[in-house]
This record gives sequence, C-alpha cells and structure tokens, in this order.
Amino acid sequence: MNGSLATPEIVLALCGMGILLFGVLRRGDGGLICSMLTIGALLLAAVLVAGGAFGLAFEGQFLVDPMSVFSKFLILAAAILGVVLSLDYNAREGIGRFEFPVLMLFATLGMMVMVSAGNMMSLYLGIELQSLSIYVLAAFARDDVRSAEAGLKYFVLGALASGLLLYGITLVYGFSGSMDFAAIRQALSDPTRVSEGLIVGVVFVIAGFAFKVAAVPFHMWTPDVYEGAPSPVTAFLGTAPKVAAMVLFLRVMVGPFGHVLMQWQALIEIVSVASMILGALAAIGQSNIKRLMAYSSIGHMGYVLIGLACGNAAGLRGALVYLVVYVFMFLGTFAVILAMRRRGQAVETIADLAGLGRNDPALAMAMAVFMFSMAGIPPLSGFFGKLYVFLAAVQSGLWTLAIIGVLTSVVGAFYYLRIVKVMYFDAAREAFDRRPASLSVVAAATGLFTTFFFIAPAPVLDAAQAAARVLFG
Amino acid sequence: MIMMIAFYIFAAILLGSAALVVSARNPVHSVLFLILAFFNAAGLFLLAGAEFLAMILVIVYVGAVAVLFLFVVMMLDVNFAQLREGFQRYAPIGATVGLVLFAELAMVLGGWRVAPGITALRAAPMPAGMQNTAALGDLLYTHNILLFQLAGLVLLVAMIGAIVLTHRDRRTSRRQVIARQMARSVAETLELVAAPLGAGVAPGEFRRPKPLEEAAAPHPVAPHQGEGH
Amino acid sequence: MAMIGLGHYLVVSAILLVLGVFGIFLNRKNVIVILMSVELILLAVNLNLVAFSAALGDLVGQVFAMFVLTVAAAEAAIGLAIVVVYFRNRGSIEVEDVNLMKG
Repeated sequence: MNGSLATPEIVLALCGMGILLFGVLRRGDGGLICSMLTIGALLLAAVLVAGGAFGLAFEGQFLVDPMSVFSKFLILAAAILGVVLSLDYNAREGIGRFEFPVLMLFATLGMMVMVSAGNMMSLYLGIELQSLSIYVLAAFARDDVRSAEAGLKYFVLGALASGLLLYGITLVYGFSGSMDFAAIRQALSDPTRVSEGLIVGVVFVIAGFAFKVAAVPFHMWTPDVYEGAPSPVTAFLGTAPKVAAMVLFLRVMVGPFGHVLMQWQALIEIVSVASMILGALAAIGQSNIKRLMAYSSIGHMGYVLIGLACGNAAGLRGALVYLVVYVFMFLGTFAVILAMRRRGQAVETIADLAGLGRNDPALAMAMAVFMFSMAGIPPLSGFFGKLYVFLAAVQSGLWTLAIIGVLTSVVGAFYYLRIVKVMYFDAAREAFDRRPASLSVVAAATGLFTTFFFIAPAPVLDAAQAAARVLFG
Repeated sequence: MIMMIAFYIFAAILLGSAALVVSARNPVHSVLFLILAFFNAAGLFLLAGAEFLAMILVIVYVGAVAVLFLFVVMMLDVNFAQLREGFQRYAPIGATVGLVLFAELAMVLGGWRVAPGITALRAAPMPAGMQNTAALGDLLYTHNILLFQLAGLVLLVAMIGAIVLTHRDRRTSRRQVIARQMARSVAETLELVAAPLGAGVAPGEFRRPKPLEEAAAPHPVAPHQGEGH
Repeated sequence: MAMIGLGHYLVVSAILLVLGVFGIFLNRKNVIVILMSVELILLAVNLNLVAFSAALGDLVGQVFAMFVLTVAAAEAAIGLAIVVVYFRNRGSIEVEDVNLMKG
C-alpha cells in the first residue's frame, strides 16, 4: 500500500476536523476565523497536490495521475474563491456560522476523492461526500423559504441520480466481474464479453452522471436550485462539483468503458446537443440573473460534452480547457452578482444592473468581460474554450455537433449581450452599496484571467494535454 | 425446495409491500410497509448467503432509518389528503416510465452469463471455511480501509448537516454557566427586605431570574433570585 | 443460491427499482414518500449487489452493499433534516407547491 499518495486528502480531512473542533469549542461566532482557516487548509492541500507523486494507492482504489492533479488544482481554486465569495455575504445574511466553511471543505475533499477514484466504490463514496455536504449548504439559510426549497430539490435530484448511478454500477459489476476501473477496461476489451446487461449498466451510469452535471434530460429543477440557494453556494455548486463530476464522467467513459465507445457515443451527442439548445433558448426569457446563469451553465456543460463525444485525446483536452475557462467566468460573474446590493438588500434581476456602467465602471467592466467571454467573443478565454472543443469535433468528423454548437453560441450571445446593453445603455438606477474588498479581489482575479488567457494559454493547454494523454495511453 | 418456497414468499411480500409504500394513502402506512419490505429483503439476503448484511439491514434500516422516517412523519403535522391530489394525474406517466424501464431491464436479465475468465477478475473470492461476517471484517479493515474512512467522513457530514439544519439554540433555556456561579457574591444573591409587620413583602418585589444576555452584565442593585443552585 | 437462480434475484431487484422510480413520479407532491422511494431504489441496488456477489463468489459486492447501506442511512438523515427545515418554513411538504420560483 502506498498511502502517502493520498496525503493532500488526508491532511485536508484532518484540517476539516480540526476546524470543526475549533469552531465548536470556541464560543460565539467563529465564522470568519473558520473561513480563513479553511482557505489556509485548501491552500495547504494545493501545495501538497503540487508536490505529490503519480501512482496507484489502496489497491487501485485511489490513483494520482496528471488528470487528477489537473482537476484537483481547478477544484481547489474554485473552492478557495467560493469561500472568499461567502465571507461578506454570510456575515450580512446572518448565516455566518462556522459549519459553512467546514462543509465546503468536506465537499472539496469529496471532489478530490472523486477525481482520484480508480474504483467504482471510491467513486461512489467521493460523490456522496461531496453531494451530502452540498445538499446542506444549499439549505444553509434555513430561515429562508427559497433556500430550504433549493436544498430539498437539490437533494431529491441528487438522491435519484445516485440511485440510478449505483444501479448502473451494480450491473457493470455483475456483468464484468469487477469494480476496478482497470479490470473493467480489461474485461471489456474482449467484445465477446460485452453483453446487453453491461450496456444497460453503462446507460444507467451515463444517466446518473448527466444528473450530476445537470445536462439536459435531467436538468429539471436545476434553475430553481441555482436561484434559491444562497448566492455563494450557487457560485460554488455551479463550478467545483461540476468540474469533479465532469472529470469523473470523462474518466469513466474513456477509461473503463473506452472499448464500448460505439455504444455510448450517440447518447452523449444527444445529451450534448439538447443541453446546448436548451441552455441557449431557455435563458432568453429569464429576468433573474441567477436563473439565467443556471441555464447558461446547462449550455456550457453541453459544450464540454462535445469534447467527450469526440472520444479522443483532442476532444478530452478541449473539454478540460473548457472547464478551466468556465470555472473562472462563472465565479467572476457571481462575484458581480454578490456585489448587487441596494441598502443592504441583495437584488437579483437583470434590470437592477441598469446604470452600472456609470455608477461603478470597474464592476461593469468586469461583468462585460465575463459576458463577452461567455458569448465566446475573441480574444477572451471563453472563445478559446469553445475553439478547442469545436476543432476537436471537426477533426473527429462530428460536424453536426460543431455546427449546432456555433449556432447556439450565436443565440446565447444575444442574452449575454443584452446584459451588457442593460448595464451601459438603460436608464440608470440607484447605485449599489459599496462592494466589499473580497468581491473586488475575486472579480479582478477572474477578470484578469479571462481577459489575458490568450497571452499565455500554454500552461493550461499543456496540462490539459498531459491529462488527456494519460487516458489514451 | 424449501429455499425456493422461502424465496418466493420473501420476494412476493417484498414486492407487495414496496408497491404499497408508493401507493398507500397514509405516509405512516407507507413507512410501516417500508419496514416490512426491509425485513423481507433481509430474508432474501439470508438466502443468498449474506448473513451479516441481512442482520445489518434489520438493525440499521428497520432500527434506525425506518424509525427516523416514522418519527418525522409523526412530527410534521401534514394534511395528507391534500398531498394526494396529483396522484391520478401522474399515474399514467409514472406507469409508462415504469413499464418502459422494466421492459428494458427484462430484456437484459436473460443475458446474464458468466463470461469466460471472469473468475480471474474477482478481487476478493469468497474464502472457504470462513464465516460471512469474519470474511467481511477481514476485507473491510484491510483492503478497503480508504473506503471505510470515507464512509466515516460521510457519516460525520451527515451529523454536521442534521445539527446545523435543525438544531436551534434556545436563548430562553437556562443553561448552567459555572464561571458565573462561582463569581457571584453574596450581595448579588441576597436581598434583605425589612418587611413591615403584618403586611409581608409585596408581590412585585420578587424578581424573576433574567435571561442570559441581560444577566450576563451584572447589575449591582438588582439581585437575581432563583440562581443559587 | 445453488437452487435459486441469479435471474430470480435480478427480476425482483428490477421490479423494486421500477417501483421506486414509479413512486417518485407518482408522489411528486409528497416529499417523504419520495424519500422512501429513494430508499427502495437503494434496496434494489443492494439486492443486485448481494445477488451478483453470490453468483460470482466474490465478496466485493457485499462489501460495497455495506457501504451503500451506510451512505443511504446518512442520506436519509440529511434528507429528513432538509424536509423538517422546509416544513418549518412553509408549513407543508409539497414540492410542487412552489409559486416562489417558477420552473
């Protein structure tokens, strides 16, 4: 056993329990201190991830490869920014209890286990650790009806998704004889051993993952959850868990089920097209910006799935780059949304942004950058995300996907640009409250990344390339 | 033969009670049928040779989870008749989905065959001459230690979650604060009142103990009564 | 197990899964019954695992079934806590009764 490979996870778990104890024993409000400690723990985990070796541990149940390291950095970055976003909001809304950062930490731990899973069992436990923490976070503002409802809906969806995923896993286990990714892959390399039962199992697994990334046939209630959950939680659950679930999705489909590509490729294409179309069309009529971001995120997952549908290294690289770009755009947009407060009250309609261009040029500039980037306008990062995915699709001969992707991007650009129009050209409204420094920091950091990604995309591209190469030998 | 009969009895009761769980009018009945379903599933586990899991199912599921459900159903004062309104409306959709799903699964079930060489893939072949419980214990704490620890974390999160969502710290409850008790002086506790002969002390002069926050800032004049335990 | 074929177990488990999914569609208003339907789905999963474990002669299935049981208990606890919070806020447990957010 080579347990030292899991050092970042072990340290993070210990830190989580330590912070929990500290919060419990320290009387009074420890929200802020515990948040700071959590950020410290996450940074420590990132350092440990950077210094770790590659390999298998715990009899193949846990693996560290370039792909898991790549996604762990992304997850940790999203979690740190998520905690920073929550600092001011929680204090103002009166939910600044110390359990909040602790649950975020455990959710992050679950995601790190997910992307390191080498076995169906560690996959499942990672997913559940992540999901259970986030169900609670979504309902964290327990005196707010909308938050409680968001928690309930997220829970029902998530529990159903886990059930379907598990049923699929049992079928795969029964028909292939193993839970281990490598062993399943080996078993499926012989076409005579691929039975209908196994394919049905794969379909169930796909359905479970599609639920987890909120792709189209399984997206119902996602907008309600995004709208109702406390905004920092929405920012978090729209990014880090999606990265983890998507990376796991990629790993499972390409790894264990790589030899039955022909059986699942069409399914992924359909899910991808449906997500892109729904994300573009349903967002048009929205007036609440959090709800709009929910549809936007459904659409973005559709683009990432194009990369998976390609089923080759180029597609995978495109999907991973897209995830990086998406996380920073999404978090940045939420930094702006969190800054939308008038006289201490959070406001969330798009019309409330009117006049932001005059009242707060810097914030409006950041928002404009994120919106242009989401619309895919060069030279912002969103353009490159789409570019690599579409290129991979074209190379793999998936012309339909690429064309539909371009078309939905054009439709999507309409509602992103509408927000920019509201900010700069609509009749001005009362200015927002002074924004706290934490939000400015997040908006500036993500804004700079989004704007200047094109200058030095190489590190991200190389890391994604290395990660993709692992799965394709 | 006797196993076959037992299997059919358990399976029939399991499926019957599962059907009643989802269709019973009263959620209390649903929970009770759920318990019945768990008992019969435990019977099926026993027949398959998984004794330990069968017992765990009874202890954990019937003993804890089902009772938790019962508790919540009883605690929430819900108008259940109203909740049934959508039932007829969704029954056709639900039935269609269910039938399609079952048809698909039925097609598959015939397809199970032990693939050649599958036994070589077994990660933990059942050891001969060892009891099920011992064999499981042997695996759980050695080969699956990572999963075991993760399951512990999942339970910890569940605990934090349940507390953070439902626990309310009641400000009105009188908690014992030892430091405050120790720091009290006689002057704070006792008040000597010169009661006029034949009149006694007027009712207004007895003072109720104050709530925690107020009392925390000691007032030199107002004595606290009822705190000297 | 020698006498009872694996197929029997799989059929029972498949029907149980279908009943669970059916229950979720049928009781869209009553969250508690939805939670019970989820429990039924997980029971189907466990039945599958135990049956495959016996048929393959491999204990991994039973080990996983144990973890599924553990997690399902944790999930039930969280689910019921959220239901209680929801009930405290709204005074009902209807999910569809949501005019607060249009879906």
